[in-house]
Amino acid sequence: MMARAGSVWFWLSAAMLVVLAVFLVYPLFNIVTGSFGTGSRSGWSVLLAEPRYLQAVTNTVMLGIAVTATTVVIAVPLAYVAARYDFPGKSVVAILPLITLVIPEVISAQTWLMMLGNNGVFTRYLADHGIDLPSFYGWPGLIIALTFSYYTYVYIGTVAAIRGFDSQLEEAAQSLGTSPVASRLRVMLPVIMPAVLASALLVFTLVVGNFATATILGGRVPLLSVLTYQAAVAESGADPVMQSTLASVSIGLVMLVLFVQRWIVSRGRHEVVQGRGAKAARMRGLSGLGIGVAAGIIVVISLLPLATLVAGAFTRARGPVMRWGDWTTANLERLFNNAPEPLFNSLVYAGTATVVSIAFSTLVSYLIVKKRNLLTPALDYITALPLALSGTAIGIGLVMSFNAGWLPLTGTAGIIVLAYIVRRLPFGIRNASSTLYNVPNSIEEASISLGVPPVSSFLRVVLPLMAPAIAAAAVLTWTTTVAELSASIIVYSGGRETLPIQIYKLIDSGLMAQASAYGLVLIVVILLPIIVATRVFRIDLFSSRA
Amino acid sequence: MNAEPVSIAAASTATPGLAIDGLAVAYGGQRVIENLSLTIEQGCFFTLLGPSGCGKTTLLRTIAGFIQAAEGRLLFGGSDVTRLPPHRRNIGMVFQDYALFPDKTVFDNVAYGLRARRVDEATIRRKVAQSLDHVGLGHLAARHPAALSGGQRQRVALARALVIEPQLLLMDEPLSNLDAKLRVQVREVITELQREAGITTIFVTHDQDEALAMSDRIGVMNRGRLEQVGPPSAIYREPATGYVADFVGAANLVKVTLPAAAAIGPVMVPLPGGVVTARAPATVPAGHALLVARPEEISLTRDGEGLTGTVRRRQYLGGRTTYKVELPEGLTLAVDLHGDRHDAFQPGDLVRLGFDPLRTLVLAS
Repeated sequence: MMARAGSVWFWLSAAMLVVLAVFLVYPLFNIVTGSFGTGSRSGWSVLLAEPRYLQAVTNTVMLGIAVTATTVVIAVPLAYVAARYDFPGKSVVAILPLITLVIPEVISAQTWLMMLGNNGVFTRYLADHGIDLPSFYGWPGLIIALTFSYYTYVYIGTVAAIRGFDSQLEEAAQSLGTSPVASRLRVMLPVIMPAVLASALLVFTLVVGNFATATILGGRVPLLSVLTYQAAVAESGADPVMQSTLASVSIGLVMLVLFVQRWIVSRGRHEVVQGRGAKAARMRGLSGLGIGVAAGIIVVISLLPLATLVAGAFTRARGPVMRWGDWTTANLERLFNNAPEPLFNSLVYAGTATVVSIAFSTLVSYLIVKKRNLLTPALDYITALPLALSGTAIGIGLVMSFNAGWLPLTGTAGIIVLAYIVRRLPFGIRNASSTLYNVPNSIEEASISLGVPPVSSFLRVVLPLMAPAIAAAAVLTWTTTVAELSASIIVYSGGRETLPIQIYKLIDSGLMAQASAYGLVLIVVILLPIIVATRVFRIDLFSSRA
Repeated sequence: MNAEPVSIAAASTATPGLAIDGLAVAYGGQRVIENLSLTIEQGCFFTLLGPSGCGKTTLLRTIAGFIQAAEGRLLFGGSDVTRLPPHRRNIGMVFQDYALFPDKTVFDNVAYGLRARRVDEATIRRKVAQSLDHVGLGHLAARHPAALSGGQRQRVALARALVIEPQLLLMDEPLSNLDAKLRVQVREVITELQREAGITTIFVTHDQDEALAMSDRIGVMNRGRLEQVGPPSAIYREPATGYVADFVGAANLVKVTLPAAAAIGPVMVPLPGGVVTARAPATVPAGHALLVARPEEISLTRDGEGLTGTVRRRQYLGGRTTYKVELPEGLTLAVDLHGDRHDAFQPGDLVRLGFDPLRTLVLAS
C-alpha cells in the first residue's frame, strides 16, 4: 500500500524524521564537524602527527582481522557439525546462542581476568606449580576474550545458511561423479559463503566498537575505542577535538565494512536456493565421541565466565585479594544493604528504554513496510545508521549535542535512556519489519473495507498479529540495554550508575568479589525475562533475529 | 460507518449501482487506466475478465478506494464517492487470500464490520448466526481460521463481506486459491447469495469459465481498457475484437484481406482454397481484417460443400473430438466435433470444411 502525500501516515513519517534528525543525525553531525576542531588545530592533522593514534587505528584493524579469523575457525566447523550430525551432547550445543545474550562483555572480560589475569585463579595455581603463564593483558587476552564473546554470531549465521542449503544440490553433484567431500567443497561452500562472510564482517564491526573488553584487557595495546573514551572523559587531558576525530575514524571504518557486508549479502541473494535441508546424520562410536568432546570443550569454555562469576560472587575477599574456597554471602548482602542504587537505576533506565524503543520501532517499521511514501526511504536509512556507530561514538555525540543549549540533557537520566534507545534502534526496526512483511496487506484492507478507519484498523488487526514478535523484541531489547556499557559510561553522571557501570568501576579498582556480586545480579536481571518469555509465554526469541 | 446513507428509493432500477465516469489511474507516475467509463445496474453481477496485468485488479482497488483515482468520478448508487476514503464507502470486499483475521474466531471475523458500525451486540449475534448459516458454517463459529479448509475460509470471507449489507460487493479472484472441484462449488454459493441479497457485485477473474458461468455482464479488459462489455452470450458469440474472441473461449483467428469495405451483414471472405461467407457485426474497412471461427462452429464432411483440407491430428476427448485440419498455404484450423460419430475422421483423411455464415465473423483488425 502506498500512502499519499498529505495523509496521516505522511505526516507521521515527517514527525518521526524530525525526531530522528534531532536525536541521531544532529549528534552524528556534531561528531564529524567537531573533528575539524576550532581555529588552527584540526583533529585530523593531530591524528596523522601522533604515532599513538595511528598505532591505535592499526591495532584496532589488526585485532578486528584476528578475531574475525578466530571466530570463523571455531564457529564454522561447529555450525557444520551441529547442522549435519547428531552426536552425544548435541542439545548442549543448541544453547550456544543464548550464551552471548546472557553474558555481558564487561562480565566476560572481568571473569577472564579472574581466571588468567595477574591475580587469576589459574595463573596463581600454575605459578604455585612452577609454571609461569605469559601475561594475559594485551593481545592474548583481547583475542581470546573477544573470540568467545563473538563466535556465536558466526555460528548462528552459518547454521542458518547450512540448514537452508538444498541438499539435493549435493546429491546432484555426487550423481555427476564428484566425491562427497569434493561435492561439499564445490557446491555447498560457495552457497553458504555469503552468509559466513556477512556474519564474520559483523564480528569485525563489533570488535572495532568494543569498549569493555578493550579497556579491561587491553593492557598497553592502544585501541581506538579506549583512546576515544579517554579523550571524552579523562579527568585530565580530555580532548574534545580528538574524541570527535577518533569517533569519526571508527564510524568510517565500520561504515566501510558494513557496505562491503551489504554488497556480499545482496550478491549472495541470487545464490540462495530454498530447498530441502539435509537430515542430520547420526554419528556413533569414536568419531561421534570425538565431535561431541570437541564441541563440548567450546561450550565449556563459553560457560567458564558464568561459573567463575558465580564462584566469585560467593567468595570472601579482602580488598583485591580473593580467598578462593572461603564461601560467603557477604558480597551480596553488602550490595543489597549498602548500594542497591545501580540495580534500581538499571531497572528504571532499561525498562523505560525498552518501552519507548519498542513503540518507536513498531511505528517506524509500520511506516516503512506498510505505508511507503516519499519520506520512508529516508526513515529506512537513518534508522540503520546506529549500526555504524559504536556505543562510545553515540555517547560522545549525545553529550556534544545535549550538554547545554535548548535541550540540556547531560546529568539527567534521560540521556542514558536516549543512549540505550539509539543503540538499539536498528535491531528493533529489523525485528518489527520482518514481522510486518509477514502480515499480508489484505488483512488490513479487509478491516478498512469493513468500515474501520486506517489507524484503528492497524490497532485492531495488525498490532495483535505483531504481539508475539513485539514481546520477543522487548525481551531482546531489555537484555541488551540492561547490559549496555560503552555509551552509558560516557553520558552518565554521579549517582546514576547502572549495573554495568558499577561493575566496570569495581573492576577498575580491582574489587572482583564485589564486581562478581553485581555481575550475578545483572545476569539474573537479564535471565528472568528470557525464562519467563520462553517458558511461560512460549515465545520464540530467535525467530525473527536471523 | 457509512457517511452517505442511501435510501431504498434511491436504489431503484433507475439509478445504476455503480457508475464510473472518465476514470484515470496512475501508478508510479504511469497511467495504467485512462478515460474508463462504465455503468453497472443495481443488483448486477458484473465480472472484470482479463489476463494478469490487464488492470482489472487496479480498477477494482480504485473502486474500493485503496487506490486514488487521478481523474474521473465514481458513483455508488448515485452518490459520489470519488473523494471518500475506503472505510467510508460501505463496500464488502472478498480477497484472493481470504484475508481472515487469524487471531479472531469465525464469529468475530464476521462480527467485525458490524462492531465497527456500532450495531448492538444482540443484533450482531443474530445477524452473524444468520449469515454463517447461510454459507453453511453455523457450526464452526467458534473456530479460528487456521482450523478451516480453503473452501470454508472463502465462505467465511463471503459472510463477513455480506453481513454488513454493503452497497457494493467487490471480489478479487476469490476462487483462484481453491482446487478445481471446490471452485465450482463455491461459485454456486457466491451466485446464489448474490442473487438473494441483490447486491451489486464486481467480480475480478482471469478464468473465462468462471466469468461465463456466474455473470450477468462481463467486461473484458486489456491493457487498462475495456475491450467489450456485455452479457456472457454476447461476449462469446459476438466478440467485438480478435482479443476478446481469443481470450474468451477458443477461436480460430485468420488474417484475411478484404477486397472492398464490408457493411454490416454477410461478407464474402477469401481464404486459401476458397471463399467463405461470414458476417460482419460492424462495418469493416477494406484491406486487412480478421476472420473469427469457433472450433465447434466449423463442420467437417467427407464430400459436402466447402473448403478442402486434410486432417493432420486428432484428439479424442470423450464427448467431443478436436481435429487440426490443414488447408492450402499452411493454414491450420482447429475443429471441434460433437454428437454422433464425432470421432469418425482419421489423420490423413481429405475433408470438406463448412462455415456457419451467421456464426463466422469478420472483424476489423
